[in-house]
Amino acid sequence: MSKYDTFIGLEIHIQLLTETKIFCNCKSNFGDEPNSNVCPVCLGYPGVLPALNEEAVKLSYIVCRAMNCDLAKEGVFERKNYFYPDLTKNYQISQFEKPFGRNGYFEYESGDEIKKIRFHEIHLEEDAGKMIHEGDRSYCDYNRAGTCLLEIVTEPEFKEPQEAEDFLQAFRRAVRHLGVCDGNMDEGSMRCDANISLNLPGKGLGTKAEVKNVNSSRFVKKALQYERKRQEKILKSGGTVIQETRLWDEQRSVTESMRTKEQAHDYRYFPEPDLPPFRPDEAFLQIVEEAQIELPLARKQRFMEQYKLTEVQAEWVCEEKQSADFFEKVVSLGADAVTTAKWLMGNIAKELNARNIAKTDLGTDSCQLTEKRLAELFDLLSNNKIHAKIAVQTLQIIFDEDKNPTNIVKENGWEQSAEDEGELENIVKQILADNPKVVEQIKGGDQKPRGFIVGKVMAATKGTANPQSVQALITKLIEG
Amino acid sequence: MKTEELLITAAQAQLALPAEEEGRLAAAVTEMLDYFAKMSEVDVENLEPTTHALIRDNALRADNSNPNNKFNNNQEALIERAPESNNNFIIIPNVL
Ligand SMILES: [Zn+2]
Repeated sequence: MSKYDTFIGLEIHIQLLTETKIFCNCKSNFGDEPNSNVCPVCLGYPGVLPALNEEAVKLSYIVCRAMNCDLAKEGVFERKNYFYPDLTKNYQISQFEKPFGRNGYFEYESGDEIKKIRFHEIHLEEDAGKMIHEGDRSYCDYNRAGTCLLEIVTEPEFKEPQEAEDFLQAFRRAVRHLGVCDGNMDEGSMRCDANISLNLPGKGLGTKAEVKNVNSSRFVKKALQYERKRQEKILKSGGTVIQETRLWDEQRSVTESMRTKEQAHDYRYFPEPDLPPFRPDEAFLQIVEEAQIELPLARKQRFMEQYKLTEVQAEWVCEEKQSADFFEKVVSLGADAVTTAKWLMGNIAKELNARNIAKTDLGTDSCQLTEKRLAELFDLLSNNKIHAKIAVQTLQIIFDEDKNPTNIVKENGWEQSAEDEGELENIVKQILADNPKVVEQIKGGDQKPRGFIVGKVMAATKGTANPQSVQALITKLIEG
Repeated sequence: MKTEELLITAAQAQLALPAEEEGRLAAAVTEMLDYFAKMSEVDVENLEPTTHALIRDNALRADNSNPNNKFNNNQEALIERAPESNNNFIIIPNVL
C-alpha cells in the first residue's frame, strides 16, 4: 500500500453527432479533404456572426440530464482568449460562469463494485482545428474548427488509475446509447485529459500534473500509473511536484514534460456579445426529458434480473443500444429470452461478422435479420417444425436472400412433416430392417452404430429429421 | 504598462518586438490603457452587468447544412486569402 492518497480527475471531450458545426452550417465530418468544410464564420473572418446550432444545445442538455446535473436556467457563452493558430479568432467560444450542467454524477462498474463519480460541470464549446508540423512550417486544417464539442469535467475523486479506465469505458458506452457521440477515441471524437496528484492521507489534494495526448482508455490508465509512480518517487525523496502539463508517449510508455514556459493561464473570459444566453423553455425541457433512456448499466442489471441472463450474456446484449433494443423486441414477440441471448452471441454474431454487419445495425435496414424474422425462426424451432441444424441454415438464408424463415423452410421442403405424419417412424423401421447386423450390435449394448443409423435416416429425409427424434425412435423400435 | 508585461503580450500574440521599440510601445500601450481606466472610475455598484443590449430571446439555428450557401462552395477563395497555402492547407511558420 502506498503511503499517499491519490486524486485523479478527468476532462472528457466528446464530439456531438450533429450534421453541422456549432456556429455555422458547415458539415461536421471526420476525414474529409483539408479545409473543405470551412466558411468565413469558422475561419474567423472579420464581421461574421455566429448562429447557435439548436441540435448541439439539445444533445448537450440530454447528456447533462442523463448525468444527473442541475440544468442551467441560463447558459452563457464566453470568449476564452488565447493565441494559437488552431483557432483563427484568437479566442474559443466556450462556457465558463454559466455552463449547461453542474453537479452531476454517474455510476459505473469497477471490479465487482458499482462506483459513483461526481461531475463538476458540463459545458458546450467549439472544437479547434488540426495542425501538422513539418520542417519550418505548420499546415492548418480547419475542418474540425467549430465542430460541436461537449466537455465533461469530473471531480478529482478517482482513487485508482483502474477506476479511470473503467469509468471511461462505461461513459463511452453511455454516450453511445444516448446517441450523442460515436465515442471513437481513435478518430478523436472522444478525447480525455487526466490530472493526478498525490498527498499524505488527510492532507487533501496535492500539486497536480495534467496528462494529455492519451487516445484510449487503457492508455489513460497506463499514463496515470506511470505518473503516480513518478510523483511518489519525488515526494518520497523530499522533493516537490511541479504543476505542469505532461504528454503521454505511447511508444515509450512514459509521460514527459511539455517544457513550455508555464505562465499562469489567463484566458480573460468574458461573455460572447454575439450570442444571447440560452434559456430553455418548458417545451425544450420536455424534449430533453423524452430523450432520456435507461443507461447501459441499469439495463444490464435489469436484463439479468428480468430475463435471467448471465452477466456475460447481459453484457454482450447491452453493449450497444441497438442490440439491447433488438433483444427486447424479439422477446416481446414471444421468443425465449435466454435462447435469444445465446443465439445473438453465437450463431447471429457469427453471421454478422462474416457479412461485416455491425452490432449497431441490428434492427436497422442494414440488417436482413429483423426482430420479427428471428422470433418467427424461434417459433418454428420451439414448435418442432424444424431442428437446430436447419434453423442455422435458415438463418444464413435470411441474411443471403432477405426472406422470411417460414418461406425459406417451405421452399426447401425442410418442415419436419415426416415426423408428424408418422412417416419418420416408417423410414427408421425400413432402415433398421435393411441393416440387421447393426441392429444386433445395438441390441448387444454397442451404442456406436446408432450414429450410422441416424446418418442413414438424415440422408433419407434430406436432413429434415430431428436427430433427437430419430434417436428416440431407434430406442423405441429396437428395445421395444 | 511594464515592459515585462508588454513582452508577454507580444509573445502570446506571436509578435517579434525589436528591443529599440520596447520603450516607445510600452508608452503607447500605457496611454491606451489609461483611456480604458477612465471607465473604471464610473460607479457601477448595484448595477447588473449588461452583456447583450439588443438580443433577449433564444437565437437558434436548425442543424441543416445548406448546400446553397454561397460560402459552402467557395472554400478555395477563402483559403487563397491566407498569406501562404498549398494543397488546401493554410500554411504558417512552425509553431510547435
Ligand atoms: Zn463554417
